[in-house]
Amino acid sequence: MRRRVLLNVGVPILSLLLVLGVWQLIVVGFHVASYIAPRPREAITSVTSQWSTLWPLILGTIRETIYGYLIGAVLGFALGVVMAKIPVIQRLVYPVILVSQAVPVIALAPVLVIILGFGIVPKIVIVTWIVFFPVTVNVLDGLGHVDPDLKNLARVYGASRWRTFVQIEVPASTTPLFSGLKIGAIYAVTGAIIGELAASEGNSLALYQEHANSNLNTAAVYGTTMVMTLIGIAWFLLVVGLEVWSTPWQRRSVARRRWRRGVEGPAG
Amino acid sequence: MGPVSTTLLELREVGKTFGDTVALAPTSLAVEEGSFVAIVGPSGCGKSTMFNVVAGLLEPDGGEVVLRGATITATTGHVGYMLQKDLLVPWRTVEDNITMATRLTRRVTDEDRAEARRVARQYGLGEFLRHYPSALSGGMRQRVAFMRTLVTHQELLLLDEPFGALDAQTRLEMQEWLLRVWKDTGRTVLFITHDVDESIFLSDRIVVMSPRPGRVVADLVNPLSRPRGIHTLLEPDFIALKAKVLGLLHGGDA
Repeated sequence: MRRRVLLNVGVPILSLLLVLGVWQLIVVGFHVASYIAPRPREAITSVTSQWSTLWPLILGTIRETIYGYLIGAVLGFALGVVMAKIPVIQRLVYPVILVSQAVPVIALAPVLVIILGFGIVPKIVIVTWIVFFPVTVNVLDGLGHVDPDLKNLARVYGASRWRTFVQIEVPASTTPLFSGLKIGAIYAVTGAIIGELAASEGNSLALYQEHANSNLNTAAVYGTTMVMTLIGIAWFLLVVGLEVWSTPWQRRSVARRRWRRGVEGPAG
Repeated sequence: MGPVSTTLLELREVGKTFGDTVALAPTSLAVEEGSFVAIVGPSGCGKSTMFNVVAGLLEPDGGEVVLRGATITATTGHVGYMLQKDLLVPWRTVEDNITMATRLTRRVTDEDRAEARRVARQYGLGEFLRHYPSALSGGMRQRVAFMRTLVTHQELLLLDEPFGALDAQTRLEMQEWLLRVWKDTGRTVLFITHDVDESIFLSDRIVVMSPRPGRVVADLVNPLSRPRGIHTLLEPDFIALKAKVLGLLHGGDA
């Protein structure tokens, strides 16, 4: 058990430290000027020294990410289900969502700002725009690959379509569903930053970085990038945590004790 | 003689065609309450088609399926059903897999769970109630699948090669286990197999089918006494019946 924790947590942390190490080596070894690339420590200090300014901006980015992600995940799931269940809708909608993803989101952002203003709304829309797609595609795929024998068995038992959906089809699709959610999680922050950049007004992490850039404060540019990356990774890990928690059967052979009213005698 | 037996299931001229292929020629068959009827035949003989018609998954081209006097043709929810694939859902424990059929039609009650635990303990799965199916062997998974079929409280159980994927040793164990459960519960079993030994070992009656078109070629009474065990496999009656069934399945060369 301890060995597994070490492997699952220790090794990834080690690999990130390795990246910082390589960064440090390159900057020092090749005598890279600090206005081109700072040392890792300088980048980190640029964040910690400005923490009181940065924290509200970070919160803003997190808020945009979360709202957009949640809406995108729910919308993506619903769309996947409707498309899987109604073939006509699938034929009708699939080209449209493909086009929606082929449009470079960076080109779309200014348009959304024109329509929706400088507030949080266009940022949420962009995150939603990016997140829903992998969720929809994976849900569609998952629901399309549920064992037909299992669905037949449910029919033989006299199950309604709704109960078959809830009890069989959705749980059978959890693996692809979480694949979509994880891909969405890692891209969500990118969407929020694109939205912030396009707004070019107000206080945001992206504009803070742009400001630092125009002041030749390279350390802050790198530092802000690290912060953005960390938000993305944190969000991804949260989704992975949710997956681990909600699919115990993929790791355990015996179920956790669970709270249940009434009789729950000892097994055996 | 025993009490007068009643017919539980009756197929009346049930047939099914897929395109140009006659999967099942119009077939009539009556199954007595509490009996164990084996259906044996090579693949393509229409036995699975017959099952799917009885289960209500397929609508026959003609004829009727009658269960205890009521027509159930092309309607589901009247029989227990089990395949070679155990179809346990990996996200539920053994206990929750056993109550799965109930969960698909209504809310599972404490009584349902208590029953699931009771039958599981009675038939050797008590220690595994909280296990996920991935932790079980093939034989145990099939036991769970059978328990799940049992607690549907359907009188008629359709078992389609349930032990087909198991090794010979486990299969014999499972056959003896199934006979024990069948004796305790008094259900009616319709059991598909392509294994002649299995059909003779388990059944009261053997329906032999042949392909192109799928049809019944013989309906044999199994004279072997119960309870049965490994010794049954060596009895002259067993050998004689086996020769007969093999002869029917392979023409003159058996």
